[in-house]
Amino acid sequence: MTWIWILLAPLLGGLIYGGERVLRARMQRRQGPPLLQPFYDMFKLLDKRTLIIHAPHALLAVAHFLVLWFTVAAIFLGWNLLYIIFLHLFAQILLILAGYSVRSVYSHLGANRELLMVVAYEPILIVVAVGFYLISGSFEISTILQGGGYWHQLPLLFVALLIIVPIKVKKSPFDVGEAHQEIVGGIEIEYSGVFYEFLYMSRFLEYIFIYSFVFLFGGESYWLGAVLVAGTFLVVNLVDNATARVHTADMLKIVYGVAMSLAIINILGVLL
Amino acid sequence: MKFFTTFRKKSPWILHYNAGSCNGCDIEILASLAPKFDLERFGVINTGNPKQSDIFLVTGPVTYRSRERLVELYTQIPEPKVVVAVGSCTATGGVFRGMVNTEDGIDRYIPVDVYVPGCASSPQLIIDGLVKALEILEAKSKEIEKPFKLFGAIETIGNKLSRLNMAKKVHNDEN
Amino acid sequence: MSTLFLLPIIASVFTLLLPFERVHYFISASVLVILSVSAFLLYSSPEIVTFQLSHSMNLLVVIADIILLLYFLYQGIKFKSANVIFLSAVQLLLYGYVESIAPIAGSAEIVVDNLSKFMFLIINGVGGIIVLYSVRYMHDEAVSATKKSLFIAGLLLFISIMNLIVCANSILLFFLLFEMTTLASYLLISFRNDPLSRANGLKALWMNQIGGVIILLGALVAIEGFGTVMFDTLLKSSGGMVLFAVALLSLSALVKGAALPFEGWLLGAMVAPTPVSAMLHSATMVKIAPYLILKLAPVLGSTLLGNFFSVTGALVFVAASYLALSRFVFKEILGYSTVALLGLMMALAAIGTKESMTLAMVLMVFHALSKALLFLSAGVLEKQYHVKSIEEMKGLVHRAPKTVGFILFGFVSLTLPPFGLFMGKLLAITSISSLLRERPLLLIVVLSLVIGSALLVLLYFKVASAILSSPCDIHPSEKEYLPYGFSIPLWLLTLYSIAVSLGFIVLQKNLFIAWLALPLLVVILLPSMVKRMEQYDRIQPYHCGEKELFDAALVYYEPSIRVRQMIYWSFGMLFVAVAFIGVLS
Repeated sequence: MTWIWILLAPLLGGLIYGGERVLRARMQRRQGPPLLQPFYDMFKLLDKRTLIIHAPHALLAVAHFLVLWFTVAAIFLGWNLLYIIFLHLFAQILLILAGYSVRSVYSHLGANRELLMVVAYEPILIVVAVGFYLISGSFEISTILQGGGYWHQLPLLFVALLIIVPIKVKKSPFDVGEAHQEIVGGIEIEYSGVFYEFLYMSRFLEYIFIYSFVFLFGGESYWLGAVLVAGTFLVVNLVDNATARVHTADMLKIVYGVAMSLAIINILGVLL
Repeated sequence: MKFFTTFRKKSPWILHYNAGSCNGCDIEILASLAPKFDLERFGVINTGNPKQSDIFLVTGPVTYRSRERLVELYTQIPEPKVVVAVGSCTATGGVFRGMVNTEDGIDRYIPVDVYVPGCASSPQLIIDGLVKALEILEAKSKEIEKPFKLFGAIETIGNKLSRLNMAKKVHNDEN
Repeated sequence: MSTLFLLPIIASVFTLLLPFERVHYFISASVLVILSVSAFLLYSSPEIVTFQLSHSMNLLVVIADIILLLYFLYQGIKFKSANVIFLSAVQLLLYGYVESIAPIAGSAEIVVDNLSKFMFLIINGVGGIIVLYSVRYMHDEAVSATKKSLFIAGLLLFISIMNLIVCANSILLFFLLFEMTTLASYLLISFRNDPLSRANGLKALWMNQIGGVIILLGALVAIEGFGTVMFDTLLKSSGGMVLFAVALLSLSALVKGAALPFEGWLLGAMVAPTPVSAMLHSATMVKIAPYLILKLAPVLGSTLLGNFFSVTGALVFVAASYLALSRFVFKEILGYSTVALLGLMMALAAIGTKESMTLAMVLMVFHALSKALLFLSAGVLEKQYHVKSIEEMKGLVHRAPKTVGFILFGFVSLTLPPFGLFMGKLLAITSISSLLRERPLLLIVVLSLVIGSALLVLLYFKVASAILSSPCDIHPSEKEYLPYGFSIPLWLLTLYSIAVSLGFIVLQKNLFIAWLALPLLVVILLPSMVKRMEQYDRIQPYHCGEKELFDAALVYYEPSIRVRQMIYWSFGMLFVAVAFIGVLS
């Protein structure tokens, strides 16, 4: 059963992405694309002539996607949360190396910003993992999901996670890494056809990755987890529609100033 | 594959380029993307990046300065692709026809599939033109399409084409 | 056992007598093999060797010490450095006093325990490779043949000193060898003998002398309080003053480990020939710092002092990683990241649980391997391509694909799974988290560990951004000429690093960790796909329709002078606070 979920993970992520596009359209009072639009896009991309810059650049995107899929598989299998975070870091570094491997200004700028985003969200994710550990006594997702009460004991940590969700799913106000009007998609820019498709699908997997962290706050009650995910989804999209993009430096300030201090206060509260 | 071909018209991504337009048509294009006309219901995304787009929306009569960029962008769009010329200037030169610093329309440089008239053309017309373009897009093959002018060296790797320097410098091409 | 001390000395004599390059290759290669094998054999045998110095040998130690200090004084007067003169004079006086009241040795001065054996592995394995490399490096150096052999002989002697220092049980013997490493670093840093080298050499001299003074003070406290100069007796005894002595000794480790605010000497050392940087700053000398803390850890352990010291180390980790972001000379960047990681190792060692001490040792091995690899690659770039700053490295992958491969491997092995350094950090987070409830102060260590690691990732891959940037591959990249003298040491380090990482994963007996290596398989398999990529059309990068290629600038994060001063001041305060807490407890 779990394996089926793992195989279907990109599809699930695609559905979330499609749903998000519809939701955002409705928030702006327009009709919006069909729910299955991401899959139409994918099929169309398969039909395009593929242009690449050089082989390592294209292959690193494939590697990024595969490692990310592996990470998501690790989540479904209930592995250690720290491994998962670091596997995700590995995937992200592959993508960043891809961005750096071409002599393209936008790609470099995107990769720089992506690195800064890693610096921003990585510590928070690990602190969240430490928070789970303090309550449940284990880093294993399967054990964490058997416990409960995270929601009451780690409320500020949840807010901290809420602050970094937009970074991970590249939504305003923290969509600096992609920033279509500014750096034309950043790392994505030099990809086309089949290889762009891998990046497009890895975006779906990112959704699953970050929302599963939100889901963990529900603990043993999966319904609570689902409600939290749905709530986060709504809030993130609302904020996305209502805010402008901030500068990378401001992003770091917000994450380290607000989210980090919230997380520290919460953990100190648990400890003392 | 036939199956994938049917999805071409379901997700047309556009690249919008202003080849010296007065911005009238550009504003109309943006209006058609905005919530009122909502082009996204056709799956349209304004990518701003030639390598991921299918439809090349060009406005303006092609100034001398913009010729090379126009052709370079055109060659960087992977096939299948269609070009939509938005506005009278783009089709014929419009009010700029015969002026010293402009060309008379983009079809001197790149093959155009759909001409959208109007000065400036309205969102309704643009959407109409795009829908027309989608039919053409579905019928297109994946063969390499070349620009008419400013066409330069093709290098090869193995026996495959490379698009390096497909658009050459202008002064080499001027007769 | 005695091979480890005597062979390098004998080899260095031969190097001096026979100044021919082929002979040097032969000597260094055989020294590498013999030393590594004997260190490994020693490591696998469980016995603990002790050795008591005879009276005449003790006298020799005293004489050597006094000569050494007088030499420092002479250098201070010769180059008119007030710091060096003052510190040498203080050391002479203190040493005279300590020696006059020092008790007759109760136990053996030289004890080879498991920790020493472990250090032998690092010192001889990595140090030997660096000596081998330095033969080829010196080939291109514009100095006389005698000076070349002197350089190699110096490196060999240094290995011998290092081998001795990690089994010194007497604080006074430790002091002598500590000062000898200081001397070695002074001589090797000012090897090129230009004004900058000499200034930096003197800087290294006086900064390390502070460490010497602190050790002497520690010895004084130990003698006054417990009437012993032996580490093992001191660590077994209890009472108020023991923590003060330990605090002083661990402060000297901070100096030797170039923790902020003493990182100046390590960065200054970058003007020296690259093997020196590799030897002093990656593999051997700075490792004295975590080694000393590991030795003191049983006492530091769960005390407030230990907690506070590990917080200091962890903060050094973050601050040094942050300061490194403003640097553009490749070796300086490596130097700063060494400072950072040493801080982390000391922090982990000072926590004092068995697990965290093991992790500190793990970090030491992998850091030595990866940093040596990076430094040696930096030396190759310097010699073959005359590239020093990361600004000059743009597009280097086109000119020097092999060296860039080694550098990239170095970066990856320092940051990513499944390599040892990453594993160490991961397990460290797990083990410290389990201690958090009893020792909440360690929360700062966890946070610093996490933030510092993220900053180091930023640092390394920023450098990678300069190296990797390459245009469309329609034109094949140039073939790189990498002589065997360079490539063999680099390959050895790479293979060591992979082998030790795999061994570590296997030893963990944890199936999940083994799974972590799986993604790497994906990366390894990908190059086989490169051939198939020829079917796709090539295209230039997108530059808004322009045909010229542009380069993006590298990013630097320069803290303002005020912030920088604040960082230095706060670390100075922390340094004093460690001693203060030692007195209090």
